[in-house]
This record gives sequence, C-alpha cells and structure tokens, in this order.
Amino acid sequence: MSGRLTQEQIDLRDAVGQLAREQIAPRAAEIDQSGVFPRDVVELFARQDVFALIYPAEYGGLGGTLLTNCLMIEEVSRVCATSGLILAVQALGSLPLLLAGSDEQKQRWFPGLSSGSLLNAFALTEAGAGSDSAGIRTRAVRDGDGWRITGTKRFISQGSEADLVAVVAVTDPEAGRHRDLSIFYVERGTPGFEVARLEHKMGIRGSPTAELVFDDVRVPDANRVGEVGEGFRIAMRTLNRSRPGVAAQAVGIAQGATDVAVAYARERVQFGKPIGEQQMVQAMLADMATRTEAARQLLYEACERIEDGAADAARWAAMCKLFAGDTAMAVTTDAVQVLGGYGYITEYPVERMMRDAKITQLYEGTQQIQRLVIARALLSAQ
Amino acid sequence: MAGAIWAVCDMVDGLPTRHGRELATLTWALGRAASRPTASVLVGPGASAAADAIASHGPDVLAVDADPGERPIAAVTAERVAALIRERQPAYVLLGTSDDGRDTAGILQALLEWGALVNVSAVRWGDDGPVAEVSVFGGRLVTESRLTQDHGLIIVRPSAVAAEAAERPGGVERIDPAPGADLAPVRVVDRVGEASAAVSIEEATVIVAGGRGVGGPEGFGVVRDLADALGGAVGATRAVVDSGWIGYAHQIGQTGKSVKPQLYVAAGISGAIQHKVGMQTSGTIVAINKDPDAPIAEFADMMVVGDLFEILPRLTAAVRARRA
Amino acid sequence: MRIVVLLKAVPVVGTEKMTGGWLLDRSAGLESNGNDEYVLEAGLKLVEAHGGELVTLTMGPSPATEAIRKALAMGAARAVQVVDEALAGSDALATGRVLAAALQRMEFDLALAGADTSDGQGGVVGAAVATRLGLPYLSYAAAIEPDPAAGTVRVRRISPTGYDVLEARMPALVAGTQLLGEPRYPSLRGIMQARSKQIATWSLADLGIDPASVGTPATWSAVLTATPPAQRAGATIVRDAPEAAVERIVEFLAARRLI
Repeated sequence: MSGRLTQEQIDLRDAVGQLAREQIAPRAAEIDQSGVFPRDVVELFARQDVFALIYPAEYGGLGGTLLTNCLMIEEVSRVCATSGLILAVQALGSLPLLLAGSDEQKQRWFPGLSSGSLLNAFALTEAGAGSDSAGIRTRAVRDGDGWRITGTKRFISQGSEADLVAVVAVTDPEAGRHRDLSIFYVERGTPGFEVARLEHKMGIRGSPTAELVFDDVRVPDANRVGEVGEGFRIAMRTLNRSRPGVAAQAVGIAQGATDVAVAYARERVQFGKPIGEQQMVQAMLADMATRTEAARQLLYEACERIEDGAADAARWAAMCKLFAGDTAMAVTTDAVQVLGGYGYITEYPVERMMRDAKITQLYEGTQQIQRLVIARALLSAQ
Repeated sequence: MAGAIWAVCDMVDGLPTRHGRELATLTWALGRAASRPTASVLVGPGASAAADAIASHGPDVLAVDADPGERPIAAVTAERVAALIRERQPAYVLLGTSDDGRDTAGILQALLEWGALVNVSAVRWGDDGPVAEVSVFGGRLVTESRLTQDHGLIIVRPSAVAAEAAERPGGVERIDPAPGADLAPVRVVDRVGEASAAVSIEEATVIVAGGRGVGGPEGFGVVRDLADALGGAVGATRAVVDSGWIGYAHQIGQTGKSVKPQLYVAAGISGAIQHKVGMQTSGTIVAINKDPDAPIAEFADMMVVGDLFEILPRLTAAVRARRA
Repeated sequence: MRIVVLLKAVPVVGTEKMTGGWLLDRSAGLESNGNDEYVLEAGLKLVEAHGGELVTLTMGPSPATEAIRKALAMGAARAVQVVDEALAGSDALATGRVLAAALQRMEFDLALAGADTSDGQGGVVGAAVATRLGLPYLSYAAAIEPDPAAGTVRVRRISPTGYDVLEARMPALVAGTQLLGEPRYPSLRGIMQARSKQIATWSLADLGIDPASVGTPATWSAVLTATPPAQRAGATIVRDAPEAAVERIVEFLAARRLI
C-alpha cells in the first residue's frame, strides 16, 4: 500500500471500507431510487465513531487529519456517493467552528456533532450568488445583544436535515469587498427559519438539497463565529479544507465504477471469451484505473500540504477537486461503456455512479472556478 | 490379536441415529478389511433396547444403559467410553461429527491423550491402519491421512457410507462400566423441544434449501412443499437465517451444518463459498436460480435458469403425481 | 466478570494455500475464526452488562496479530498470544494441551471458545481444554447467562430436537455458536485505542511445555496425498419455460433414481 499512509490510517480506512461494503452498498440503489435521506447510515456513522474523526479529542472527537477524513469519504463514496456526502457535509458545516469557533462554541456543539446526534450544513450559496459570493443578499442586522437574519439560501446540501446551519450573511454592506460578510450558526427550530423546498436532482438523490428561508430569524451574538466581517475569509478557508472532501468523494466514485467495470469485464463473455480479454476493453480499464490513482495521489498530496498550512492551500484544494471531479465523470462514463446496455440500466450501479459523479464537477465551486483559482495562484506567484 | 475397531453411536430419543448406524456399517467394513474385531458402543437410556437395531449392521454391541439424569449425554458417554477403552484397549474408535459426538471426542482426547483424525468424509483400511479422506480448503482439495500411532480417534461426518445390514448381526453385551473420569459437573436444567428442529438436515437423504432468492419467510412455503413431496428436509443459507426467515437448525455451510444428501435442491441460492463448503459433496445437486452466472452453476449437476416461484410448485405437483 | 476468549486466526475460507510440508499456509491473510467472533461478541456484551474485562488468548504465529488487533479494537482489554516456531503443524490434541497450559496461568470466570474452527474443523479443542483443567464444559451455546452473585452460568445448548438449558459453577468453559449474535464492527475509536493495548507473547518455555510434544513431530495425523476433488461433469443448463423445465428436472431425477 501507499507509503504515505500510516498503519493507523490504513486500519481506519479498511474498517470503514468493510462497513461500506457490508452495510451501505446493499442500500445504495434503494437510497438513490427512493431519494430518502438515509438516517440508518447516519446512525451507522454515529455508532462507529466515523463522525468523531475530525473533532479534537478534548471535545469528544478523535483528532483525525484532513487526509484521514478524506480516506473515509473515499471508501464510503466507492459504494454510495450520497452516504459519502454525509461525511463531507458534516465536515463542511463544522469547518467554520473548527477554524474560528471559540472554546465555548466548541464545547457547546462539538460533542453533539462528534457523536452524530447533531447534523450540520453550510449555507453560503444563494440563487443569485453561486460562484460569486459578492452576490450574497442575506442580511444580518444587529438587534441588541443579538442579530436578526433575513434572506434565502439555495442548493444547501442536507439543509433540511441539519440541526445546525452555518449561514453566511452580509453584516456591513458598506464595508469593502470581502469584509462585508459574517458567519452565524442557526439552530433548527429557531422561529423564522424554514425549509422552503427540496430540489429534484440528477444524482446524489438521497442527499436532500434544500432552499432555506430566514425570515427575521433572531440569533444571539454567541452564535456568531469569528469576528464581524471575517465571514469571507472563514468561508474561503473552509473551502480550502472542504474541496478535498469533494475530491475524495469523486475518487471514491471513480474507484467504485472501476471496481464494477473490472468485475464485469472478467465475467461477461462475448465472442467466446470474457470481454476483459478484448484489447479495446483492456485499454479502457487501464485508463480508468490510472486516472483514478492519479486523482487519488493528487488528493493525498493536497491534503498533506493543506494540513501543513501551505500558503497556496487554495490552489491545492482547487487542483485536487478539479482533477478528481473530471476523473470521476470520465471514469464513470467509461464504466457505463464497458457494461454496454447493462451499464445504462439500474440493474448495475454504474449509471447511478455516472449521475452522482456529475455533482463533483459542480458543487463547492464549479470546475471553471477551480481553474480560475489555480490560474490566479499561478499568475500571482513571484 | 490386533486391537479392535469401535464405533460410538449417537442415539436420539432412545433410537440410534442414521449417522450412528452408518458408523456401525463403516466399522464393520473396516474390521473385515483389517481382520480385526469390531464393536458398536451405545450409551444412554434405552441402549439395551436399541442394541439389536445397531447389531444388525455387523459389529458386536456394547450397550451401556446409563441414565444421564441431569447430566449432558456427551459427558456421560465420554466417561463410560473412556473406562471401556482403558479396560479393553481397542485400537481405533470412530465417533460422529454430531455435536454430542464432537464433545465426546474432545473429552476422550484429554482423558486418554489420544490424537484424532477429524472431519473425515470417508475411511478405508490402508496398509496397516485406517486411511481417512478429508475435504479441506473449502472443498478445493481432498486429503488422505493416516494416524501416526497404532491407535486413535476418527471423527466421521454423516453419509461416509450408507448404513446397511450385515449378513449376520453382531452379539449384544450389556455392561455397566464405572465412569472412567470425574468430569466437572454440568446440570441439564431443562430440555426444550422446538418444532422447527424436528427434521434433522444431517439425517435427511433429500434436502431442499432456500437462499435469498426466496424473498422472505413466506417464500419458504414452496421450498417446504417440495421437501415434503420428496420426503426430505428444508435447508437454508446463512443469509436467510441471519435475516430471521428460518431457524439456525436449517443452516448449511461454514458456521452451520455440513450435509451430504443424495439429492440437494438449491432454490435461489447463489452458491457462495461459505454455503458451498457445507453441501458440495452432496450426491446430485439441482440449482434453480434466475441468474445463469450464479457461482452454484459451477458445482451443480443441473442448473435451471428461472423463477423458483414458478418452478418449485410445478415440480412439487409433478413429484406428487409420480408418487401417487 | 473476567472473561477469556479463545481466538484463533484462520485463513480466509476459499483462499487457503498449502506449504511444502502439507501444512496450511499461515504466513499472511489471517482473520478471526467465525465462531470465535460470535463468542467474542457475547463476551463483550457480558462485560458491558456485568463489568470486568475481556482478554483474548490466541495460539498462532505472528500473522495472527492482525486478527488479535481487531478483537482489541472491538473491545478486548488486552491479549495473550502463544507464539513458538515449534507449534507449527500442531494437531487438535497438542492445541488443547497448549491452550490449557496458557489458561491455567490466567484468571477468569468464563473461558469462551467457538464451537469449531473453519480450518481445523475438529470441534474438539474446547471440550479437551475444559477436561484438562477440570472446568465445567457447556457447548453449542445459543445464549450465555452468567449469574455472578450465585457464581453460576446458564447456557442454552442447541440440541437435535430443540435446546437444553445447562447450568454449572464458574469458572467454566463455554463453546458458542453463531446464534450468540452478529459480531460488532470495531469503531474508529476502538481501532485507535487498540494500537496502545498490550499483546503479551508467551513461548512454550513460558508454559513449561516440551517443544517435542507439539507441532509436526507430535502430530497424530500424517497426510498421504492431497488431490483436487473429483469434478462434477458440469451442469446441464435448463432454460426452458417452467412447464418444460420441470419436465426435464423430473426426467433427470428419475434417470438418477432419485424420485
């Protein structure tokens, strides 16, 4: 195995891989077809301490690294991208707290998030503010010792399931670019906070994508994370650590599709021999495996650079997400091709994997945004 | 004279089991090949009464009418057999792989310091001792082994031979040896009968088994019907036992029972290695499965590709019509 | 409750290989024996219910460590591994002798063993160990219910016609089955903690056992030949519609005199 991983990381990865194969894989098709959020998978992650991995030990967590968490997301996504996303979103929503939360805030929320009794979400995107955060219209206005939040967030992964939502809101419209935003945690059940609707999606269908409405929602100042006006900076640092999670999901999907295609090529007999003995099929399998491994190694490298506090963390995060997302799309498309007609029907999982792969090219910044981030980093470097 | 060959035969409800009668037949055959005396040992209530039945297979019978009272029968058997072995010094003692047979054998190992050939599927007489056939490596290899000493235990699976009557029955000796050991006490507080365990899959000559393909507990209805029509028992894979569709007594495979019926009908069973190891030595294997690529196709004699719910009821009717 | 679980590391069923000397290759790819995991799970539940600690006891070469680590990750407090080159090729008789000697050096209320192992397939070691140590032996357990206050244990033993309820004083040895319930998955926290748990290794010298009395030189069973089993002729494939298919099955069974 990779010399990069510690024995502990290998043990953890293999344990979660077994869980995924034995407990999640048999559910994956049903999760996709029903479009129902898999609470049983949430309970499984909670029971096996998979959620706990990213939180510091002093708050009930296991103090795992970014790379270790990405290994978990990868293993789970290999059989079910929706389930892998549960881990990625839990990390995403917790990142503002991990990066900028006070000790009091961590004491308050980490034990629940770590044990899985609390789920969270990260609400940055709005209808008019996708890749461009300057379009954010959600406002937070001071109200005595608290804030009143008004606005609508769209495309929020697991927004309807979250007990705690990190909301990026404009606190000072007059402040300069990137200094106008702040982050607030809004708890489920707070008056004025409602789920307006759920989207009908092409892939990751078991993961609800919600439109969240905040109608004069009052939150105490204790729910604000970081300084006023620090929201943009925290959000960007959050993305630096969450984009590798999307890349891990993409690598997992690509590996899962490769697994299925290889098994199929071994067994499917046409013209008197397994199709895996046909050179044209062999070439496809070889490319799928090679691309997937390249994406994986770039992801692992990025995780370590980001963990080490690299100044160009944004570039590494964007590069691994860009490459892994494109790899997942290409590899799953090829997997469908290897399976032929069977690849196109729901009897085999590759059509689901292909639909799931597409989202990794879209969320947490489209591939175009990743390229923009990478190019800017290259051109600004001395 | 060279040491005798003995069989220790299980009884259930005062009757020798089919497995026990097979061991008597096997012992008789080995004794004839080796020109050695043979005996079948019966221990338990009703041993004397059952002695004639087991004597018909050839070996003389040592009948020990021990009343286990509140003790497990394996412990009582082991104590008496240990005493008999010490007193009469047979060379080879065959036991069954039943739960009681293995418990008895384990206790005897420790009491006598005797080694064993275990999980044996066939025994023949070699140059100067028994040679045992054992299926190993999940059925990928068959080994033949001998004992390295001139005595030992041989623990034999069901259906190593077919039980048959000898040309003349053996004599019957009723004895009451003092226990040859003082085992730590274990008390049987209660004996509970369960309907689901009524037909022993190890004793059956025909087994109709169901796997995931039967879809649920009610799906075993068609499996049971065919088993009834064929006069056989119902088997199952671990997956369906784990799912609670049928009891563990029906489970065939790695952590269940090993069987060797003359006919094994596998309905909706893919044939994973964990199941295969428990049934691959069956006489004839007929598989019914929707998936023509299911692994069971590789070790079945007939592979019927189709819906078991369409095929089993028709097959049951056809079998009944033939019997009528 | 002090519990010792006899845990054997076995090759994954279906992947077994043989070494030159007719021995099972145990150099890699070992996992916990299936039935041993059921009793391990039962033991962990007992410790959770009654307090105390669970220790595993393994006789096996160094590649067995991976299976032991998994047991530690599942919740065993520590482990004892009897390792000695002289043990290779040990038969059931020698295994019983070694495990009894090791258990004699441990303190426990219950020793738990799997009803049999997937590689040895003997199912005799538990009874032999109990007999050597003068322990009550309760086998084929579908449920294990100790009463620590009374110092007794009750076991539901599968019987050919149902089940028996057995009772004995502790310490006792219980051999268990799959009916004890599915083993848990190790949690991530368990896996991380397992790395710092102790695996004590004991040699034959530690146990006062003569190396000549175990292993290949002392085995009672000698392999003469090993061959692949006779292959079936290959399945007759039937793809007819149900009526026609059933006709063909009946013909096939009748030709073999099975109906």
